[in-house]
Amino acid sequence: MLVQALIKPNTYFDSVSLMSLSTKANQIDGVEQAIIAMGTEMNKEVMKNVGLMTPEVEEAGASDLIIVVKAETEELFENAFLSINELFTKRDSGKKGKSDIKYSTISSAVENNPDANLAIIAVNGAYAAREARKALENNLNVMMFSDNVSVEDEIALKNLAHEKGLLMMGPDCGTAIIGNTALCFANAVRKGDIGIVGASGTGSQEVSVRIHEFGGGITQLIGTGGRDLKEEVGGIMMLDGIQALEDDEETKVIVLVSKPPAPSVEEKVLAKIKTCKKPVVVWFIGGDEEKITAAGGHFAKMSKEAALKAVLLAGADESKLNKRALNIPLIEDVRTKLKPEQRYIRGLFSGGTLCDEAMHAAMEKFDNAYSNIARNPEYRLKDRYTSQEHTFIDFGDDEYTQGKPHPMIDPSTRLDRFMQEAKDPSVGVIVMDFVLGYGAHEDPVGAFLPAIMEAKLLAEQEGRHLEIIGYVLGTELDPQDYEEQINKLLAAGVTHASSSQNAGLLAREFVVKGE
Amino acid sequence: MLKTVSGDVEFLQKLNSSKFTGSVHSTFNRTFNIKCHQNGELYTIACRNVDNGPNTLIIDVDNIRPMEIAVNDQVFTKKNILHIGNKLAISFKNVNKWVSVVPGYPSNEEILNQNLKKLKKFIDIHGKSGGIKKHELPNSLFEAKMSSMLELRTNLLLDELAEDRMSSALEHAISIIGLGPGLTPSGDDFLVGLFTSFSMLNGPFYGRRSFCEDVVSKAKTLTNDISWMALQKASTGKVRESIILLLNALLGENEADLFLSLNKVLNIGSSSGTDIALGLVGGLEANIKAGGKVYVSTSID
Repeated sequence: MLVQALIKPNTYFDSVSLMSLSTKANQIDGVEQAIIAMGTEMNKEVMKNVGLMTPEVEEAGASDLIIVVKAETEELFENAFLSINELFTKRDSGKKGKSDIKYSTISSAVENNPDANLAIIAVNGAYAAREARKALENNLNVMMFSDNVSVEDEIALKNLAHEKGLLMMGPDCGTAIIGNTALCFANAVRKGDIGIVGASGTGSQEVSVRIHEFGGGITQLIGTGGRDLKEEVGGIMMLDGIQALEDDEETKVIVLVSKPPAPSVEEKVLAKIKTCKKPVVVWFIGGDEEKITAAGGHFAKMSKEAALKAVLLAGADESKLNKRALNIPLIEDVRTKLKPEQRYIRGLFSGGTLCDEAMHAAMEKFDNAYSNIARNPEYRLKDRYTSQEHTFIDFGDDEYTQGKPHPMIDPSTRLDRFMQEAKDPSVGVIVMDFVLGYGAHEDPVGAFLPAIMEAKLLAEQEGRHLEIIGYVLGTELDPQDYEEQINKLLAAGVTHASSSQNAGLLAREFVVKGE
Repeated sequence: MLKTVSGDVEFLQKLNSSKFTGSVHSTFNRTFNIKCHQNGELYTIACRNVDNGPNTLIIDVDNIRPMEIAVNDQVFTKKNILHIGNKLAISFKNVNKWVSVVPGYPSNEEILNQNLKKLKKFIDIHGKSGGIKKHELPNSLFEAKMSSMLELRTNLLLDELAEDRMSSALEHAISIIGLGPGLTPSGDDFLVGLFTSFSMLNGPFYGRRSFCEDVVSKAKTLTNDISWMALQKASTGKVRESIILLLNALLGENEADLFLSLNKVLNIGSSSGTDIALGLVGGLEANIKAGGKVYVSTSID
């Protein structure tokens, strides 16, 4: 008999609902036992005593809701958790109209929706490849949100998609915009003539919102999944994505977003750019300008630059664009406020690429920037709970999301770390992103406001100035209120950065000494 | 705009006399909680079918859900109106003020003793199982183990209290915090009832109220915010109106009042009401047993 747990952080249901949910959960087919309780130390002690302890339960806090299920097989767990989640959703959403029609198999979904041409796969990694194959065999393009899929399966699926002329976005693909429809984590942006192929989710989101801000728009944003540009996979989806956008009549300019590809893959991508009939802007974070330019690509060092180049290539009038230069008087003002010992930046990010971009900005002036996602092992954080000098943390990285939702949905892990950094007298600047859009938290800034106010007050009481930079990744079309999010930051005394690029540069410039 | 029907005096004073801003902490069908930015305390806005309580305003509405109040909605006051984002405005002018007043300990314990016997019998029949009150046939091994732990630890706690061994009583009290099913774990609910008995003026444990504060100071990380706030308030004699009414009925001679008020308490939450009532019963019995064993002066301070 196996035991698995699901943790719902900071989730409160009244006791009557919890009892009712618990009773229904125990009636689900295949469930030997289901426990729904708050994650207090004492309840965890009981779970340990009766053999229901799991690493996720061990990590849960007193305000987290724990759902533990005992069942015989992995498949039964999957069904049980899906059913339990459905019970919670029903309870949570109350009487908000009719729910969507649910199909139990891809085949029945295709049969009942003959016009459908895309499937989103978001099941447990163990079953994701099987479902994706079924979708491709049914001539559906695939966006695979699931991770923990083997490289072998990824290659096989991408080859199958390539042969059939379909897109195989993912595994671990969290962002796409297809036919002006945002899928999973993406922002509401204007329809236009610029296409994006991205191996990095928040990097692609950032470029899409900057293009929108510059007055441009998006035709398609094709995600590839983070592993596509590795040696083994060979960039199959990136190459197919470029081809798809080249063939797309509405796309005038193509933007590529990724970390630097493996050398052999980079060669293939550059060769593809060389023969592409449309201009291609390349933002490979930390990429080689010379090689990209030699291949006929338009090199961008940072995200805003990539978006700017794309809109200009698409025909925008540069003189009419507000490029939002850095606020130099502000930089000078903050430098005078920080004490000599406040030397360090602490970057706390929910978006991996946003973290990477801020870190790269810092690395241009400092040789002591550390991160959990640093490519050079020498600059990897030794202990993920402890910062070292300039530290940049991607809270969306696997090590921080084990058993927890992504920080774009649940801010709790990042909130705790924020307070820890705010108390450190060697910190001059804390820089954070707040990602809006579909799938993201409904009020990410609001969730941080009490902590920000407390941190500011604490610093003031200790006679130091704590500079907090906040960047809101979003547009006025997003489901959240973009302006309101910015106003909340400003009202709390936070410096609002107008882009990911500016957030990184401002953080760096605030703590540069002797210039 | 909605009208406040009644409200806790301290909450109303806070709203009237100083800055009050916060954000919505949690929402339920009949209540929602606000976390105050100024003091970090939780404040509750409840429907008219909920009883008064510490840090609570009762508003003239049957259900909270249709207002779509959401976690993190910003809360602020402006000109005697409490605003919950742009979703709800609550006027708190001309409100019936409520204050938690725990009755004094009786000079003659005879009626209390008789009423406690009736109360226990009633709970035995009508109380909800699954928490302090054991299910005869537990639904799972988890529930069986949890109920056994609750039974053992609450009995040890009450025995130590009756013998005035406060330091070991403290250990046992801490061992039940956060233990049990539900939003407010059964062990916490039991302590809320127990603490109420400590706040009875001239009672044997009145001079031992620091015990409750000691328990609460250890409880912060052991339970969730909502339950901790109820414990913290109860440690200073601030509990829900229905608990006060039950305690008053326990000291009187009106049997109908006794069962009506007990029924209201038993209807709190799932098993919470039963757990609170059993904590109150246990605390009162320990008070009676302790009697002469409590050496500290219980004079009014």
